[in-house]
Amino acid sequence: MAISVLLVDDEEDFVATLAKRLTLRRFDIFTATRADQAFAALNENPIDVVLLDVRMPDLDGIAATKTIKGSHPLVEVILLTGHASIEASLEGMEMGAFDYLLKPVNIDELVYKIEDAHHKKELQEGKIRRLAEQTDEDGSVE
Amino acid sequence: MITRGLRWLQGIVGRLTGRAEPGDPEAARELFQIRYHALRLLLAANTKALDLMATMECAAAGGTTIGMPFVRSHCTALGVSVFQMVRHLDTLAPDKYSMLFERLEDIQHSIDHELAVYPRSTDAPPVLPLRDVDCDHIDVAGPKMANLGEVANVVGMLVPNGFVITASAYELLIAANDLQPEIDRLLQARQAERLDELFALSSSLQALIMTAAVPEDIAAAIEAAVTKIAPPASETTFALRSSALGEDSAEASFAGQYQSLLNVRREHLVDSYLEVVASKYTPQAMQYRLQRGLRDDDVAMSVGCLEMVDARSGGVAYTGNPSDREDRNVYISSAWGLPKAIVDGRFASDLLIVERTEPSRISNRRIGDKGTQFVLDPMEGVERAKVPPHLRRQQSLSDEEATGVAKLALRLESHFKTPVDVEWAITGDGEVMVLQCRPLAQSVSVDRGSPPAGTPPPLVAGGVNASPGAAAGPIHRVHRDSDALSCPEGAVLVLEQPLPRWAALLGLAAAVVAEEGGVAGHLATVARELGVPAVLGAGPLDALTAGLEVTVDATGCAVYPGRIESLLETEEEPRPATVDTPVQKTLRNVLRHIAPLNLLDPDDIDFKPINCQTLHDITRFCHEQAVREIFAFGTETEFPEYASKQLHHNVPMQWWVLDLGGGFKQPVSGKYVRLEDIACNPMLALWDGMVAVPWDGPPAATGRGFASILFEATANPALASPFKKPYADRNYFIISEHFLNLQSRFGFHFTNVETLAGPRPEENYLSFSFKGGAADLERKAARARFIGDLLAELSFDTEVIEDVVTARRTSLDHQNVERSLRVVGYLLMHTRQLDMIMADRAAVAHYGAKMRADLAQLK
Repeated sequence: MAISVLLVDDEEDFVATLAKRLTLRRFDIFTATRADQAFAALNENPIDVVLLDVRMPDLDGIAATKTIKGSHPLVEVILLTGHASIEASLEGMEMGAFDYLLKPVNIDELVYKIEDAHHKKELQEGKIRRLAEQTDEDGSVE
Repeated sequence: MITRGLRWLQGIVGRLTGRAEPGDPEAARELFQIRYHALRLLLAANTKALDLMATMECAAAGGTTIGMPFVRSHCTALGVSVFQMVRHLDTLAPDKYSMLFERLEDIQHSIDHELAVYPRSTDAPPVLPLRDVDCDHIDVAGPKMANLGEVANVVGMLVPNGFVITASAYELLIAANDLQPEIDRLLQARQAERLDELFALSSSLQALIMTAAVPEDIAAAIEAAVTKIAPPASETTFALRSSALGEDSAEASFAGQYQSLLNVRREHLVDSYLEVVASKYTPQAMQYRLQRGLRDDDVAMSVGCLEMVDARSGGVAYTGNPSDREDRNVYISSAWGLPKAIVDGRFASDLLIVERTEPSRISNRRIGDKGTQFVLDPMEGVERAKVPPHLRRQQSLSDEEATGVAKLALRLESHFKTPVDVEWAITGDGEVMVLQCRPLAQSVSVDRGSPPAGTPPPLVAGGVNASPGAAAGPIHRVHRDSDALSCPEGAVLVLEQPLPRWAALLGLAAAVVAEEGGVAGHLATVARELGVPAVLGAGPLDALTAGLEVTVDATGCAVYPGRIESLLETEEEPRPATVDTPVQKTLRNVLRHIAPLNLLDPDDIDFKPINCQTLHDITRFCHEQAVREIFAFGTETEFPEYASKQLHHNVPMQWWVLDLGGGFKQPVSGKYVRLEDIACNPMLALWDGMVAVPWDGPPAATGRGFASILFEATANPALASPFKKPYADRNYFIISEHFLNLQSRFGFHFTNVETLAGPRPEENYLSFSFKGGAADLERKAARARFIGDLLAELSFDTEVIEDVVTARRTSLDHQNVERSLRVVGYLLMHTRQLDMIMADRAAVAHYGAKMRADLAQLK
């Protein structure tokens, strides 16, 4: 199954171009240019990886990373930003971002990162499935 | 229920890397996969971190043009890679090395401190009257206005009445509109490598500033200052001149790179102020900062607001020849009307050379045919006007006025204790006013003699040497901006008018030739600073057709067809160094927290997280410990399928193999694995190299060589296991489908080979280290150099320190990595005991020749 990626960035041209390039590489792409669209997309679709801008007019990407990792712990967040800030990058990583990539991004590198993030998610899902089966057999979880 | 389920899920995610219950092979398989994935990500982050460090060190050595976005983005990307390594090590050994997070944060803070902009005070008032300004106010008023204040208030010369909108006002403007983060983001995200990208970026940045709101208190202060100079009903207009911090030093004049606005009506002053501030990001100013290694964030834009002078004549005076430091005459360029005609380099002008003698004497003069002048537009701004016919060839200032201007310039030179460049104007009343005074940048002129006999006649001869030197290249004619976009690197720019905006092309150009202009124009000044030869005012250039290869001899004011090597060979003063620029200094300062490697020996008692002083130390520690942790997990695991296997190739061998996943073609039970079961291509390639050429056995040692080995073997306790690694006693392959780590001990020396050879060339690497031996240090070191030389010839990045060789290749496709692995495999087998013969030159030469021949076959 194709990897589902949600692109969140207020620069519409950037989102459109990147969506096109990633679609060509067989990813399922969802896009959002505002915070409310982003959270709606996340709740309504089986998203694997979120590519998130750090600084949007109505969204603080670092805080959003924390929110996403809280509500969707298996979804991996890659921060993709023009802000070359050591402080923001550390903060983002500490909030659980899988990576912090700087624009302009090399498309091959971005594809690798998405695949790596997705593979991490798959490994975790496999483990959870097995633990869930075990706990079901034990009857210890409602 | 949902919340409870989520909490359960979060709890599980947190426990994903724990140990599996004994007897649960499925759990063991999962753990192996998770741990191998963490190791692979750690190795990829390590490769990226090492690449970033190498790029930064290379840039710090000079020779490349870098700006602060380069430094910031590399520091940020490096910090992220190192953070990832620490986090992945934490996955492999939860909480065991958590001190690394603290060390990383401390080091990052140190780097951040180096990158920070020196905080400028916003305590100074947003507006200062020029009468209160002198050279002590450079940090508030910018050098241009500070110098002008000094000229008026300390030297006592006549300057226009006015005030300065200070650097504090700039800081307030930027802060009030929260512009800096967005400016940094645009600079970072749209790295403008091509000129069209630079123009687009410049446009976005200028639009950002032009649409900002000027804070109320700044606007009010401007209005109050204006009212003090001119009552509200008066017709007084103003000149707004940039006075950026960092502008107007002898090394970096920023001549004409920023906007000046002339004849501005008072009601438009605030908008015009924004326009001048926005000109911080003209393409030519951005390119200029990049070329000179100036930090964008160091430049705060002060703006001078001066009463407009309606000049009868105006121009520029230099207290020396800008193209020849030895010539100390005063060079005066003059035109009718506003001095803009001179500094723009747009129209013909007069040049008068005044000797320093007393009384002054005009030793040379060249009177131009001044068809056009700049005059004040009755409404606002300036306009071009025809010079009346009877004045066209008339000297635009009298001899008496010229010697007066020369004296005034020499007084300023004496006051500022450096040759100066003075912009002046003569009013309708005949008074001389100083509009600007800055240090003069001068070049050294080298006499190249005449071109050799047989040289074709020049296509162009004449004009002025505006920037000395010689260069060759194809002609690129520039009439409009679209021509600028297609300018190739190394071109000879041919212009009609040497306008300041073409300065953005000087980073690409080999030389400049223009029909109009003189030594005093802004483009000429920047060409001299950047060491680009320039002949200006050369007259019609129809002979210089696009694409034609020419040699420009600026010193001799001639352009020849083709390349005239004898002119090009003359040693010129080198182009300005890029080593001591502010950006380079910042880069070197941050590298102190990044590059030095202090943790050298993994078996040293000090090889601990707390002793990581640099990012390089952290990467070294993480890499070493990750391999140890993954090894310990594999050898201590209670699941036979995942435990290490002894390699069986006809007979059991002294090699053990630990599969991290995908390294075997199918699950292997029992304690042996056969070579044909191995799926790891890097291991097979290395093995292939090891067995490709039969080993002749140990080289025949000389008596002294053998005695040295016997002595070392008995006297050196470290030989028992110099690396003291848990896996040092056996030869271990740790493998996956694309990964190989070999820790091995061949006789008396120790080698480590590690490689990733997967489908992503950017992440692939091969690293090799070799240490030890049985002979004395001198011979071991000689062998290390011998191996290092062989590997360097095979395109490895090689380093030899005493008896340790390290070599690395990166970013290769997997076939190339495998080819290199065969070479390494060969060397592993064939350099055994070579240290014995390292004192015997003939033997060294023999083995060198043999190995080079073998390796050539192997490739």
